[in-house]
Amino acid sequence: MNDPAPYSIHRLWGWLVTLKISGVQAGIAMAVLAVLASAIIGNRTDEAYGICMACHGRDLLNWLVNIQFNSKLPVSPAFIIFPALTTVGVLVGALIGAITNGEFRWQRPENPLLSFLLGVLVMNFALLAGGCATRLLLRAATGETLGLAAYGALVAGVILATYLLRWWAQR
Amino acid sequence: MTLAAITTLIVGILFGYLGQRSRMCFVGGIRDFIFVRDTFLLKGMVAFGIVSWLGFSLAELLAATPGGGFSYASADLTRQAVLSGFGVGFLSILANGCPLRQHVLAAQGSVGAMAYLVGFFVGAIIFYKFSLPIILAY
Repeated sequence: MNDPAPYSIHRLWGWLVTLKISGVQAGIAMAVLAVLASAIIGNRTDEAYGICMACHGRDLLNWLVNIQFNSKLPVSPAFIIFPALTTVGVLVGALIGAITNGEFRWQRPENPLLSFLLGVLVMNFALLAGGCATRLLLRAATGETLGLAAYGALVAGVILATYLLRWWAQR
Repeated sequence: MTLAAITTLIVGILFGYLGQRSRMCFVGGIRDFIFVRDTFLLKGMVAFGIVSWLGFSLAELLAATPGGGFSYASADLTRQAVLSGFGVGFLSILANGCPLRQHVLAAQGSVGAMAYLVGFFVGAIIFYKFSLPIILAY
């Protein structure tokens, strides 16, 4: 008698909350979203620009600084009038996921200054490379020469850093 | 331009949700495989690469988006791409995740990831005020 209807909002909510997503499923869904977004946003100067945590973050920050201080920091042509909201979207989406599944909890940092410095360095290298790890893989997927070179180097950097950490832990 | 902004918001929310539910990280897959032979994230990364490659090929066929494709790249640009790509990969492992993963961790309440994000955005200003002029000078 108290059971909700087969397609009620409660059942949909329950399904959403208990939804388990594998790496492969997430990879496929994210790739489809990234290609669709690239098709909507993209132009000749910004290939594979559907998602990039570094470039879209830069676009949002520079847009805000330009509005506030009347400066002329570079912003992608697609986001001159309205800003790129990827950063806000990802934070909101992840917060929804964390709260609905009871996974939100404050975690104290081990070394916040080191995290801050790594953030500064990663953004500098990412802007120089023309994208974060996600966009470099997207650019490589388009077959772009520099994207392939940068992504190959990224994989080499990941492997070297991982072996370095393992050596450090086993020392 | 309004469409681009709305698209980034919607795609961002979906990316954030998927990233939170799957722990997706674009450098963590290789790290986990080397450390503990865990292929969960690596499979996701490979799936992302293959599907986006197919997607871009299809989109190019339908002329919905321009493709990159092989083209000539100068030695200077290639050297710059290789060095900076290496830096992104190396430092992302030391930071315990790619920028997408750091955004997700910050939204889950990790103060360390929040400190990383503050540095990330300060880094964009440092890049245009200091790093880029120095690089262009050479």
